[in-house]
Amino acid sequence: MAAAAAAPTRAEVLALFRSLLRTAKQFSDYNIREYTRRRGADAFRENRALADAQAAAAAFAEGKKHLEVAKRQALVYSLYAPKAKSVMELKVQ
Amino acid sequence: MASIAGSSALSFARPVKAINTNSLAFSPVRKGNTFLHLQPVPMRSVSCAAKKDTVDKVCEIVKKQLALPDHTEVCGESKFSELGADSLDTVEIVMGLEEHFDISVEESSAQTIATVEDAADLIDKLVAGKA
Repeated sequence: MAAAAAAPTRAEVLALFRSLLRTAKQFSDYNIREYTRRRGADAFRENRALADAQAAAAAFAEGKKHLEVAKRQALVYSLYAPKAKSVMELKVQ
Repeated sequence: MASIAGSSALSFARPVKAINTNSLAFSPVRKGNTFLHLQPVPMRSVSCAAKKDTVDKVCEIVKKQLALPDHTEVCGESKFSELGADSLDTVEIVMGLEEHFDISVEESSAQTIATVEDAADLIDKLVAGKA
């Protein structure tokens, strides 16, 4: 086990957050898109005050894993995108 | 060079002056500022002012993202940190702006955005570059 992984820098964390939001945009399904954005924002906000370097590094690694999952799923979902749009996406007439 | 620095302090108070090439110390590019000194602006003159619509739209998106009450005064000069946004909020705001204006903001540019004006300038530049 790699001991004492360095805590991620502020820029790295923000870059991870940005990538996550960008990946969320690629989902064709409204529900999953909104969930990814919301959950991602909540998780980052929850962990923002982690003082312990190791805990921060662990959370960062966790975030990266989730990013990978989201990227794969975005691809898979796009292969089977539904034709009908969700009602939430319809423009208000 | 000291005299230029001195006159820049003056031009803040009275922007309607002939010597306004120094009115902005931090903007090296001068685009058509020869006619700027004819406009009696109440606040300091901006050389590359963002369009009013863009600034308004940015303010609207910022207010919605930070869930500010409607009467909050958000103008071009407002800093995101003053409005109560942390860096995560700033990232979300930039993403919202990207989506609305259909542009793509670079990682490095996004890190430098600190005020509403910065965001509006960047948006205008990207939209103009795209068009």
